Amino acid sequence: MERIINLFGHFHPLLVHLPIGILLFSILIHGLSYKERFASFVIIIPFTYLIGALAAILSCLSGLALSSQGEYDEQVLFYHQWLGISVALFSILGVYFTKKKKEKLLNWISITLLVLIFITGHLGGTLTHGEGYLTKSTSSEKIVKVKPIITMAQEAYLYADIIQPILEEKCYGCHSKIKQKGKLRLDTKEWILKGGEDGIIIHNGAALNSPLYKKIILDPVDEKHMPPKGKPQITEQERILLEWWINSGGYFDKKVKELTQPPSIAPILTKLEKNTIQPLTNNEVPVKEIQQANQNNINALTKWGVTILKVANNSNYLTANFITVAKTTDTIDNLIKNLGANIVWLKMPRMNFTSALATAISFCDSLTRLSIEHSSITDNQLNSFQNLKRIHYLNLVGTKITLKGLLQLKRLSNLNELYLGESNIINKDSILIQKTFPKAKIIFGNYRTENLPTDTMVVKVPPKK
Amino acid sequence: MSKENKKIIKEATIATTEHITRKYFFKECFSGMGAMALGSMLQGCDWLGNKDSFGNFTNTNPLMARAPHFIGKAKSVIYLHMAGAPSQLELFDFKPDLLKLDGQDCPQSLLEGKKFAFIRGVPKMLGPQAVFKQRGQSGAWISDNLPHLATVADEISFLKAVQTDQFNHGPAQLLMHTGSPRLGRPSIGAWVTYGLGSENSNLPGFVVLTSGGNNPDAGKSVWGSGFLPSVYQGVQCRNEGDPVLFLKDPAGIDRDLRKASIDAINEANQLTYNEFQDPEIIARMAQYEMAFKMQISVPDVMNINDEPAYIHEMYGTQPGKASFANNVLLARKLVEKGVRFVQLFDWGWDSHGTDGSTAVDIGLVNKCRNIDKPITALLLDLKQRGLLDETLVVWGGEFGRTPMQENRDGKSMPFKGRDHHTEAFTTWMAGGGIKQGSSFGETDEIGYSAISGKVTAHDMQATILNQLGFDHEKLTYTSQGRQFRLTDVHGRVINEIVA
Repeated sequence: MERIINLFGHFHPLLVHLPIGILLFSILIHGLSYKERFASFVIIIPFTYLIGALAAILSCLSGLALSSQGEYDEQVLFYHQWLGISVALFSILGVYFTKKKKEKLLNWISITLLVLIFITGHLGGTLTHGEGYLTKSTSSEKIVKVKPIITMAQEAYLYADIIQPILEEKCYGCHSKIKQKGKLRLDTKEWILKGGEDGIIIHNGAALNSPLYKKIILDPVDEKHMPPKGKPQITEQERILLEWWINSGGYFDKKVKELTQPPSIAPILTKLEKNTIQPLTNNEVPVKEIQQANQNNINALTKWGVTILKVANNSNYLTANFITVAKTTDTIDNLIKNLGANIVWLKMPRMNFTSALATAISFCDSLTRLSIEHSSITDNQLNSFQNLKRIHYLNLVGTKITLKGLLQLKRLSNLNELYLGESNIINKDSILIQKTFPKAKIIFGNYRTENLPTDTMVVKVPPKK
Repeated sequence: MSKENKKIIKEATIATTEHITRKYFFKECFSGMGAMALGSMLQGCDWLGNKDSFGNFTNTNPLMARAPHFIGKAKSVIYLHMAGAPSQLELFDFKPDLLKLDGQDCPQSLLEGKKFAFIRGVPKMLGPQAVFKQRGQSGAWISDNLPHLATVADEISFLKAVQTDQFNHGPAQLLMHTGSPRLGRPSIGAWVTYGLGSENSNLPGFVVLTSGGNNPDAGKSVWGSGFLPSVYQGVQCRNEGDPVLFLKDPAGIDRDLRKASIDAINEANQLTYNEFQDPEIIARMAQYEMAFKMQISVPDVMNINDEPAYIHEMYGTQPGKASFANNVLLARKLVEKGVRFVQLFDWGWDSHGTDGSTAVDIGLVNKCRNIDKPITALLLDLKQRGLLDETLVVWGGEFGRTPMQENRDGKSMPFKGRDHHTEAFTTWMAGGGIKQGSSFGETDEIGYSAISGKVTAHDMQATILNQLGFDHEKLTYTSQGRQFRLTDVHGRVINEIVA
């Protein structure tokens, strides 16, 4: 008997379309019948309402059968269920009123039904396709989940940085807030520890006894194998990581370096690092994703002769080179300000600096590389940059900046490379500068090549004896 | 208005009205149909089938700056090619065991099944003809032929086991620079300019400077654009007289008239382009525009007279005199101005020992003295200007030289020389996100064959592109019906020397 009920429940997604179609059609006919041309439609309204009501009742019953199988977000299910039932009730009322020829009341029934059907239908869609399904595929800006960047695998949290992203990618589709197949959720620590309808899924320290892991290593043709056939499968690398996580105690809060690492793990950890480091080299660009910059602003700056473009095809950060621009105008300053969040590399060699330009640059808070060598920047103007904390490369070669001016930037703690050649700052202050910018490699330049006697000597063929 | 100008205007009027005559219409109908038919028949032939698969070639400005695939460390490249192939055994690959074998017959095992350019019969082994020392903290072996470079050894990553399969200069140079030993492929500088465009709209993206009295054996194809639109080919600048010929306005033509005439020509070109869609027309238009801008920018950037005295002393440059040193200083100036790719060729490294100038203990030493100070100064100067970490400097030849003394035609020769050698030679890279003070690859105890860390020209090219932010497998251009790339079907990024 239970199997028949379950089977009946599975027909719910099919049956629901009957009342939706029939009732909407009834409402349409009802509406049209007020026009003189379609006045004759009135006689079929009772019939369509009756069929619609029957279909609604049928879908309610199948829906109830399906809901008893669990696996759905309870809150959404609650609303969907009761709204669905109310659709059925209202349509029955509708039949009743057509019989009694209570036109005014029927009007209200039709309007209410119209609203109810749309809401119930949407909630039903949410249950099967997940939250936000309506806008997901049509939205032009796809929200792409970014895997956390692992720069130092040893410093990463095993669960949060390595395991959770695997579960999110391969399991959340059926085992999270949206759906709970097998009454199992894997999206928080608590749910994972709670397990599913067959009990707990992780036996700490024993992957081979843990259902979570056992189902993954089952033969892929086995019907209990996870993820199910046709869904993206766990890779060998991910399998080894999951096994290691469970075997080492299934901790949620430990770092990689706190756990013993079997030899099979080391190459995977370095691979994790490489995968993420390769496209994004060190600290050239903030890790945080950013929205695309306004193309109109970019075009406008280009028109002024500035070479401005994305640092790479896969990034929204910008590089701007003012090599052919000797002087900025108010418009240019404003454009720099507007694009400030996106500009990470700024090249302005030999620029005639104004305080307006310096102020505009102070809005570029993503800036990591600033080349203003041989520019006319003054100590006062330099002070505007004191909050550009991401700067790690600063080129002040050939400027009039003094020691006092430079020390105003003491908050730029990320400074890695500082070029001070041909400026008013001299070598003997390097200790103080180093103290202010402890991470920085300070280059005063002034390099020379030695004059060697051999430089100008020409080796000749020895004379013949 | 002069008589000539009136004549020009008359011609222009005729040309314009031609477009609206009945005869012209029918003529165009005919040739247009013909071109369409031809195009469908010859799909994949030349420009009719050329396609830009990178999405980079824009019709309005082919040299516009563009973003790479991923964030690259280097923004420009200075490639120093020693045409003729310098001897690694006198510069970087120190082989004390070879000294012990000096003068002995070469063992048969090294000769069996091998082909050499000039060696015949059984040659004698030739020990290193230079004194070697370990330099810097990295302990790199550099000979006394390069005393200045020895002081910056810790900036450099050496590739000690580079291999090639071409033992003649022309094909080997083509392989190094175009990825193929045969003619017709774009050079690496052209690929880079195609990929990245030019940061400075007033200067070409790819500049070539030669020294040593000759162009490389492979000719100008080593900086050609192959099947890429020709706007991407290297612009060769002369190092004596005007850097670019015919750049000055002729007498009697002022800059405004020059601008007006270029505009008129380009308008006509645009009409033709609209009709035939040949990218070469766009290239021509862009080159007219570029030439116009270069009239101002080139004399400025190609002038080293204004450099301070200490810079001249550092590089060993003498303004007005054609030399490798001047070219190196110009390379730094060009890179500073936003030029993407500067290619230097220095001719005269073919140390066969046929006379004193090609002897490894005479001519080679003199060649080394010409390049030692300038290259060292370049690395130091880029560093002090904060440019070294975004400028990739590459040094190398097209192949190496044998551990055996050359015996041309089986006869012993009056000078000590070495034959072309393909199995192992040394190149190096510095700056642009390359490891400092490292070395990759090893040769056997006599420097004959590579025993570990073997790399090829394609691997070097893949690495150069990688440093600029390109996946060498994805920077492609469709020609003759298939996608081409610089590294053909080969190439591996040499991650061992990437910082």
